[in-house]
Amino acid sequence: MKKVHVLILSVMMLIALAVAGCGSTTDSKPAAGKTGTAPEIKAIQDRGTLKVGVKVDVPKFGFKDPKTGQIDGFEIDLTRALAKKILGDEKKFEAQGVTAKTRGPLLDNGEVDLVIATFTITEERKQSYNFSEPYFTDGVALMVKKDSGITDLKGLADKTIGVAQSATSKKAIQEAADKQGIKVKFLEFGTYPEIKTALDSGRINCFSVDGAILYGYLDDTTVILNDRFTPQEYGVASKKANTELAKVVNDTINDMKKSGELDKLMQKWGLK
Amino acid sequence: MSGPFAGFKWLALINDWTVFAGGFVQTILLSALGLMLALGLGIFFGLLGTSHVKLFKILNRVYVEFIQNTPLVIQIFFLYHGLPHLGIMLPVFVVGVLGVGIYHGAYIAEVIRAGVESVPKGQLEAAYSQGFSYWGAMIHIVLPQAKRISYPPLTNQAVNLIKNTSVLAMVAGGELMYYADSWSSTNLYYGPSYVVTGLLYLSLCFPLASFAKRMERKLEVSS
Amino acid sequence: MIEELLQWELLSFLGAGLLTTLQIAISSIVLSMILGTILGIARHSNHTPLSQAASFYVEVVRNTPLLLFILAVRFMTKLPPVYAGIAAMTIFTTAMIAEIVRGGLNSVGKGQWEAAKSQGFTYTQTLIYVVLPQALRNTIPPLVSQFTTVIKDTSLVWAVGIEDLTGKGMIIMGQYGTTAQVFTIFAAIAVTYFVFNYALSILARHQQRRLSLRSY
Repeated sequence: MKKVHVLILSVMMLIALAVAGCGSTTDSKPAAGKTGTAPEIKAIQDRGTLKVGVKVDVPKFGFKDPKTGQIDGFEIDLTRALAKKILGDEKKFEAQGVTAKTRGPLLDNGEVDLVIATFTITEERKQSYNFSEPYFTDGVALMVKKDSGITDLKGLADKTIGVAQSATSKKAIQEAADKQGIKVKFLEFGTYPEIKTALDSGRINCFSVDGAILYGYLDDTTVILNDRFTPQEYGVASKKANTELAKVVNDTINDMKKSGELDKLMQKWGLK
Repeated sequence: MSGPFAGFKWLALINDWTVFAGGFVQTILLSALGLMLALGLGIFFGLLGTSHVKLFKILNRVYVEFIQNTPLVIQIFFLYHGLPHLGIMLPVFVVGVLGVGIYHGAYIAEVIRAGVESVPKGQLEAAYSQGFSYWGAMIHIVLPQAKRISYPPLTNQAVNLIKNTSVLAMVAGGELMYYADSWSSTNLYYGPSYVVTGLLYLSLCFPLASFAKRMERKLEVSS
Repeated sequence: MIEELLQWELLSFLGAGLLTTLQIAISSIVLSMILGTILGIARHSNHTPLSQAASFYVEVVRNTPLLLFILAVRFMTKLPPVYAGIAAMTIFTTAMIAEIVRGGLNSVGKGQWEAAKSQGFTYTQTLIYVVLPQALRNTIPPLVSQFTTVIKDTSLVWAVGIEDLTGKGMIIMGQYGTTAQVFTIFAAIAVTYFVFNYALSILARHQQRRLSLRSY
């Protein structure tokens, strides 16, 4: 009897937890439309720093130099521009390293205000987050071992492709494979280094993710194929409720596009 | 509502319930086979540990100390990422069975050794005097008594083993945690996913743990 | 080949991971010792609502995989990465320690309570001066084995991208992937964990012997 009690109680606790989760989010409805600054922007200004989730392992986009400990890249420059717009000072930001897997949840729990981390805009993700207009377009690419002799997607028929959890590569490659009438298998890993390790050990025949990211893992035993699949448009993501913040971000990016500043940044990082 | 537990996220989960069911079945299979291996290894190495032959004792210590003092994550990573370099490409399911089986085998070996050692030496001597061989005495006299005291910690090991099959998620293991994680990281509806996953693990582990506790209480009373 | 791994940068990179592992492990051990002891006593007490609440917590938590708590805390709270790791490990380990403490309290015979009572000890006094010291001695082996488990299980935080010893090792492996390098990295990580855990268990054995010598 007592055990049944405890079990029922535990179910109730989990449900209570779920309900509490729902409740807490209804409290933080945006106060948009009111005069003055939106609360989420005011919160950032009061805090005096913009918290941003960035990549730390993608050279040219967001990369932490192991020797200096500094994070730099195209997306970091974009962060600086946003910090300047929101706080008037391009140095007032705190960058936190995120992975494909952690960036969504960290937005939800409010640990970061924005995610600027090679985050591809998709319809499904738009249900959960606000996305800015795209600031960069990349394509999903394939990395294979040189000695595998594979030269295109056709060569990967019935082979296994390693992708990152939470990344859009799986869908992109699946669509391309369907079009070509070939079958491929997928394995999902939590982090990029593990996908590379799985490629090295022969667990998978191909490492697939956005081209820009793959270049960080290129070595003398591997090669990146020329194919690019499904353009991946990167956008700045913010929490769904923070509509005003999303608007500021979007305006800034559009301004940067118009003024040619964005192009200049891409040139600076050799992305154009 | 767009919180981590928003209604549409629960609906999505209900729609995709087969994903979780599939993972759950895989977790049960993994646990069952892993437990069988762990019991086999545990009894074998546990008995080696009670032997008077020095070499056997050393074998027991090496196995138990090495496995108990290194993380399961590393052992599983090694089976998954390391062995292929030697030309041994085990399917991930086998990696899982071997991983949890070998890991918990070391813990079970200790349980068995303690159980056997808890039986007074006089029992063995009495059995010898009745003409039993070492193994005969072990099987008919010592083990049945050791079993009683070993059951509760063994059941606890079974619970830990079930929980630890979740480590397989870190190598795309195709069990419950992997699917829960993969499903929720694709659509980012992780809230409902974790709650349901937690309940499913609880539904496996809780009855076992309660069973262990009941036996423990019985032992306390009888002693 | 293997020489490539012997760079100062890589070693300090791995060292930073070890520090993260120890930081998470030690913090959660200390926190769960405190919380677990309280919970264990609450569970053992005759105070029904309190002991039921404690039982409920312990039963739910210890029958759920640690990895799930790590994912949930990392993704549903605002805690910075390492703190999220500590919090998740503490939530889980507290339940395990509460169970050990309860077992230790049970192992102290009823006669002790009665004897203390007859000497005019209150419940709290009996607990602190008579029962806990004996219970603690009985719990040293399972506690230490739990501590080793904490150190080992810290490796699970790599699943949410926290770069502990395991994580750092896997990152290096992503860059240095020849057979010899992979095996060297595995050996280095495994030996590091082994040394710490083995040292801990030897220390505990020593401590236990000292304690039992003192009391008899």
